[in-house]
Amino acid sequence: MNKEKHFFLISDDADLYQNFKDIYTQAQWTVFERGRGAIELIFNNPPDLLIVDNKLQDMGGMELIRIFKSENVYRQVPVIICLDIDDLTSELNLTQIEVDDFLMKPLDRQQTRIRLDLVLARAAWELDASPLTKLPGNTSIIQKIQDMMDRKQNFALAYADLDNFKSYNDKYGFSRGDEILMMTARIIVNTIRAFAGMESFVGHIGGDDFVFIVPPDQAENVCQILIRNFDGIVPNFYDPEDRERGFIRSTDRKGSIQDFPMMSVSIAVVFNIDGELNHYGQASEIAMNLKKVAKKSPGSAYVLDRRKSS
Amino acid sequence: MQDLYTENKKMVLSVNDLPTLPTVLDEVTELVQDPSSSTDQVAKVISQDQVLSAKVLKMVNSPIYGFPRRISTIQHALVLLGFNVVRGLIISTSVFDAMAESMMGLWEHSLGCAVACTQIAKVAGFKDPEEYSVAGLLHDLGKVVSVVQLPDVKKQVDELVKQKDMSYYMAEKEVMGFSHDRINAWLSDHWNLPLRLREGLVWHHRPKSAQHFPDMACVVHLGDFMSRVFQVGNSGDDQISYLNRYVFKVLNLNQSGIVKILDELDKEYADLSGFRPD
Repeated sequence: MNKEKHFFLISDDADLYQNFKDIYTQAQWTVFERGRGAIELIFNNPPDLLIVDNKLQDMGGMELIRIFKSENVYRQVPVIICLDIDDLTSELNLTQIEVDDFLMKPLDRQQTRIRLDLVLARAAWELDASPLTKLPGNTSIIQKIQDMMDRKQNFALAYADLDNFKSYNDKYGFSRGDEILMMTARIIVNTIRAFAGMESFVGHIGGDDFVFIVPPDQAENVCQILIRNFDGIVPNFYDPEDRERGFIRSTDRKGSIQDFPMMSVSIAVVFNIDGELNHYGQASEIAMNLKKVAKKSPGSAYVLDRRKSS
Repeated sequence: MQDLYTENKKMVLSVNDLPTLPTVLDEVTELVQDPSSSTDQVAKVISQDQVLSAKVLKMVNSPIYGFPRRISTIQHALVLLGFNVVRGLIISTSVFDAMAESMMGLWEHSLGCAVACTQIAKVAGFKDPEEYSVAGLLHDLGKVVSVVQLPDVKKQVDELVKQKDMSYYMAEKEVMGFSHDRINAWLSDHWNLPLRLREGLVWHHRPKSAQHFPDMACVVHLGDFMSRVFQVGNSGDDQISYLNRYVFKVLNLNQSGIVKILDELDKEYADLSGFRPD
């Protein structure tokens, strides 16, 4: 988790480099004096943070940032531009180059440290959050679970997904499918908060797959309430005639009619008690097998992992 | 005239502080501070107050949450908002002067109408009575908003009701050129309320005009009438609202159904009368 971060500074100002190194000792620093030469290197080996001095000898700092940030694969790398007081004109518009933040020379020790911390935290968070629900995504989920395993904490890890989500999407379109995911996220977050308070975690793997972590003794209760809430709310998201009918009727390309039940939620819960699991892969494998069981029953269902007579 | 209409509409929609009466607010405040409270408990109390209910529904149906126009019951809204957000709503809600007699009457009338709508929906055999109850509770929201946003107009309307002994509805029309059902339409659209609720709020005086969900408009129309017959609260005049026979056809109610509703309301309203704070 706490592996050393790699920071690149592009500047021919030796004092600036020294200042940064003094202020932020916990990172590994590399300095490039020239912009042009640095470009290929940062493309091949992007750092955790890129700081660009606006006054470079061979090109404008803004130009360099524009080149770097215009590629989607590098957009996740946070970039800070260093400005002099004379750069601050009413024409200056940093939004055009997608820079994440700026710092003023000469550097203020405390401000710089706090800024760098914030920029990094924000980047980590934004990179991984689901764009739709803003819940933490895969990287954070795996980190969180592995971290709890390493610390030998007891927890229940639940995987939830929706049944018949695809047929809903096919009939009503993607934007209404997104409504369902937003609604599901809210239900999971609030249901869990009501029971487990701060010891809980909710993540959005993607699509209609969610995970949540609760204390083991709360798991069953949370599943029951979650299902009750979901089943109660989901009919609001169907058109009146489908809601009345209780299922979706759709005609496929061959002209044959198919009926799909209303959406429901399936939950598989894996327990980690007394540190019996030590790897994320184990947990997800057990969960995937349980999920198959949960999926077999019509309507919403939850299955608890009872490998041990706990 | 057109300018005045636009002006009034702008005033109405710019409402950002809708106060309520202290009674329910205090109760909800207490509940949401207690971590052991359930959503159902909180929903039950909020469902007694049109202003809090409206705020909760406005919030949950706002585009920020990502599913506008979908949620029409308080219970569902609370599940989706969570206590955190509800706490914030409660904190930022101010109160009417406890002595605001007209507000007290209106609040009681709205609650009475909600109770009536629930019973009517049950006897008519509708699946989700809570939705009808919400529509009944909010049916005079336009009046509350006009009290807050158009106080001078409100004075004129009250004056006219007294002088000419006409209904509040007609007096509104005479003074403003429109009435609270029109305000309800603006609010429903502005706040992204579900179409089913909108139909109840907008057409409760003219149930035949409800094209999409006539059942909603008819239940609220009849509920409004019933709560006036029983003289629960006061909605701005002392008249019985006009009852359109069309609702009996839509709701498929015969004499015995109506008697059943009246019997139920007799009991319900007896419980309600002890509710009013002094």
